[in-house]
Amino acid sequence: MSDRTPAPESPQPSPAHQTAPCLASSGTPADEVSRANARRYGTGNSHSYWHRQVHLGDVCTGDNKADEESSTAEIAANAPRYRRKSSTFIDGIHDVTADSDMAPAQLYSTMSGRLFHSGRIAIVMVGLPARGKTHICVSMARYLQWLGVKTRIFHLGDYRRATVGEGEDVPEDYFFPNASPASVMLRQKILKKCREDIYAWLNHDNGQVAIYDAVNPTASGRMSLAKEFAKHDVQTLFLESYVDDENLLRENARNVKINSPDFEGMDPDEAAKLYLRRIEMKIPIFETMTENELNYIKMINAGQKFFYNNVSFNYLSHRIVFYLTNTHIKSRTTFFVRAGVATEEESFKADAPLSEEGHNYARIMCETILNHREQERESLKEQGGPDVPLRPLSVWTSTRMRTLQTAEPFTERGYKVRQRSQMAQINPGVCEKLSERAIRRLYPDEVEKHELDPYHHRWPRAESYHDLAVRLEPIILELEREQNDLLIIAHESVLRVLYAYLMHCSTAAIPALKFPRNEIIEIIPAAYQNEAKRILIPGLDPRIVPSSPEGIRIPVAGESPALFPGGGLSSPPEGLENLTISPGISTPSLATSPPPVRIVSTSKEAVEDKLLDQD
Amino acid sequence: MAPRTNGIGVQVEDTKICVVMVGLPARGKSFIAQKAQRYLQWLSIDAQTFNVGNYRRTEAPHPSADFFDLSNAEGEKRRRAAAEAAMHDMLDWFRNGGVIGILDATNSTKERRKWVLDTCTKEGIEVLFVESKCDDEAMIMANIRDVKLTSPDYQGQDPEQAAQDFKNRIQNYEKVYKSLDEDGDENDYTYLKIMDVGSQVIINRIRDYLQSRVVYYLMNLHIRPRSVWLSRHGESLYNLDGRIGGDADLSPRGHQYAQKLPQLVRDSVGEDRPLTVWTSTLKRTISTARFLPENYNQLQWKALDELDAGVCDGMTYQEIKDVYPEDFVQRDEDKYNYRYRGGESYRDVVIRLEPIIMELERSEDIIIVTHQAILRCIYAYFMKKDQSKSPWMNVPLHTLIKLTPRAYGTDEERFSADIPAVSTWRGKGSTAKHENPTPGANI
Repeated sequence: MSDRTPAPESPQPSPAHQTAPCLASSGTPADEVSRANARRYGTGNSHSYWHRQVHLGDVCTGDNKADEESSTAEIAANAPRYRRKSSTFIDGIHDVTADSDMAPAQLYSTMSGRLFHSGRIAIVMVGLPARGKTHICVSMARYLQWLGVKTRIFHLGDYRRATVGEGEDVPEDYFFPNASPASVMLRQKILKKCREDIYAWLNHDNGQVAIYDAVNPTASGRMSLAKEFAKHDVQTLFLESYVDDENLLRENARNVKINSPDFEGMDPDEAAKLYLRRIEMKIPIFETMTENELNYIKMINAGQKFFYNNVSFNYLSHRIVFYLTNTHIKSRTTFFVRAGVATEEESFKADAPLSEEGHNYARIMCETILNHREQERESLKEQGGPDVPLRPLSVWTSTRMRTLQTAEPFTERGYKVRQRSQMAQINPGVCEKLSERAIRRLYPDEVEKHELDPYHHRWPRAESYHDLAVRLEPIILELEREQNDLLIIAHESVLRVLYAYLMHCSTAAIPALKFPRNEIIEIIPAAYQNEAKRILIPGLDPRIVPSSPEGIRIPVAGESPALFPGGGLSSPPEGLENLTISPGISTPSLATSPPPVRIVSTSKEAVEDKLLDQD
Repeated sequence: MAPRTNGIGVQVEDTKICVVMVGLPARGKSFIAQKAQRYLQWLSIDAQTFNVGNYRRTEAPHPSADFFDLSNAEGEKRRRAAAEAAMHDMLDWFRNGGVIGILDATNSTKERRKWVLDTCTKEGIEVLFVESKCDDEAMIMANIRDVKLTSPDYQGQDPEQAAQDFKNRIQNYEKVYKSLDEDGDENDYTYLKIMDVGSQVIINRIRDYLQSRVVYYLMNLHIRPRSVWLSRHGESLYNLDGRIGGDADLSPRGHQYAQKLPQLVRDSVGEDRPLTVWTSTLKRTISTARFLPENYNQLQWKALDELDAGVCDGMTYQEIKDVYPEDFVQRDEDKYNYRYRGGESYRDVVIRLEPIIMELERSEDIIIVTHQAILRCIYAYFMKKDQSKSPWMNVPLHTLIKLTPRAYGTDEERFSADIPAVSTWRGKGSTAKHENPTPGANI
């Protein structure tokens, strides 16, 4: 969600502000950009149609009153990491949201809004800087929110910055056991503020899991923290990231201090060593967890080993462990592409084979993606990077005929293709082959329900997007586990849901996400935020480019004009609009494909201040 | 230990895993092994348990505790021979396409574990050690009494004497027992160590998704007593017509069943504890569950919806045979794998039911009101029914099935509502609207 962080000077945001849409925002500088882009890429009718759709989809976002009043909002507004999201191409995991519309795979809801009847939980991070805590917090929050557990990260660093002021540092003895009274006071002031926000969020905003991101170096500190939370009826689960592998430590340190001027011109290994020495000097005492009376998970060397001390936890902590055993911090990319067009585009049940056009698409798409990988590698080498071999590429398809056949060019080249029955497209139920007019005539009540909540609404005999998300959950874990580069060939409905997981889109935005056939979406994971990029597939017949006509025909209210010869549900050829697009890594040598377009991501800026983020 | 790569990518299908149980006797190793095997087989992952004790038993049917004393050279030799025989058979089985082999033995020494690891690695098989460690004396004795004394080793012996002998046997193992990675020199192994029935767990070096799935499944197991109740929806209008799929309402007799269900459930629960109700999202199951007490939590699962018959949805079998004669024949040839055009196969249904099984394992008392094909799959999981048979099982309407999982199997009870209903069972090749099941089809 965008614009979820009201600026202090506008305590009563306009209604437009409250229902700020995901793909387009109103009355903000970002909107100016999006309008400019709309002018640049928009094409009359089709554009305004989609624009409207997006707005409609977002009306049902929750209220954010609590955020306006709470001090979190204030702090968030001061904190550089709470970026405004102006497009779904930016990973929304750090947006401050009302959460209620953010649970793609929520299995059920309860009166309290909390799941699994587990009560309220604080997951307290433990670990020195450069141990990958942020990465773990972010991935975990992503997964829990996906499951419908209301989760929010509270970085103590944000509170420290808000308290001592931007660019200011804490006193030298801030972390010392024998710190001066002034430092102790400051420390407690910051801690108190953060904890108050956690309680407020858990108690008044129906939050369920608060992830408390701080160093928490001492056993006694952790004991009193657990007691303190227990007093407020909050269970505590500690999650320590412990690293004793020197290589891993150096690698992490190199990533963290990447943007700091302090280390400019230094040998990377030297800089990493210096950075780690500074941490040691700043935080002289760190006790790893051995407290038998506490619930804790100790993650050793980025997931090589887990130690799990379970006193009273069950489902949720098991779930977290399962998730964490499947995550890794190796860098690899995921590509999303559509399946080619089939001979019977309109029929779901027919499960028709590809048309000639579809086979043609499959061939060009395969060439484009393989070229792109080669070029990325070349350009990395040109920039002075190491000459490493390409990561292997895995291809996943559904069991539907068209995705299998779209993968054929890869099979021919020796890539192994895996079929996943869970990745079958959304079932359109009674809407199959019906025109929008017919649906309106036959199911007026359903149309009304659909317009209220296109994500959760299920047409008779059909699947909702929510059903699809639940069905895709095992795929998501395998996606996290996969160490190879991964190409997913699937129906647009499946891409929407998987994309929403990786880029954290709101449920309201999911049914409206668009994946034109002439674009390959590449998602590059990073510790703080994922990045999305698109690569154009050249030379396609414009008639096959638009979004899927085989999905459910009326995703939104309003008369939708037939935009393309194929009619029905389709997206404008330029794809996702309102993006902040800047020229990216262009590779001029390509004759066959245009340069990939890189979407600006905030992730680098966001980690810039991580160097000082030591509490 | 490096997974084999083919240059293009390691495929999950290519991985073979040997799950090696570790732990003293009476620590629930066999319980874990058989649960894991059942779960994996149900998911169509070829899994097999190789119990070293069974190999040893053919040589020494009723050994005394002395046999297990390490200083007893003869005993040690025989036990080694049994382990080698089990390993030999397991490797043969892997070579013939096995995916997950479970080596059920104490494997209590580092030497033995290294031998297993080296032998498997040579064959390109990954090794996942699973240790159950328990120091709770009361729990161990309970396990000995419940399970071990019915073991073939003690057939026809005095229970007190047998228990004492078994404790002596454990002591002999304890002399040489080394917990996994106790000395830190097994840190390279992939292992799961469960201590005191899950109060502490160590997970080390999980290498792929399949391993993590097994680990997650084992962590969800619990041994608290509970039952699972299964019922089909009441007779529907489509049932009367002999039509499949659809989203029809209940017939008048179906409504009668819905009204009687609460009493049927109460009688079978025995006491007044509330259950959680799971239904599908289709009208006929929601309708059937609608009179259950209000303090029962109700959840609807899309994953419990009936097998999707695709283009055949809403047809009778005669109509299917007329319109899609080839499909009709193909389905009967391999009902488990046949996927309706634009619809699902039983295999697809099992995949979508997997999260449900995971939830069921960790939950306590649940009543599931669902459909014939779905019920067959869930039933097959608990009762370990073969894939070639489960799609042909007769699951009568208007009958409540109560399943109670025990350490080494599942107890079943049935409660008939005594409300007549049509039979929806169909024999191979038949297009009859309603036919009586053959005796072999009754589950």
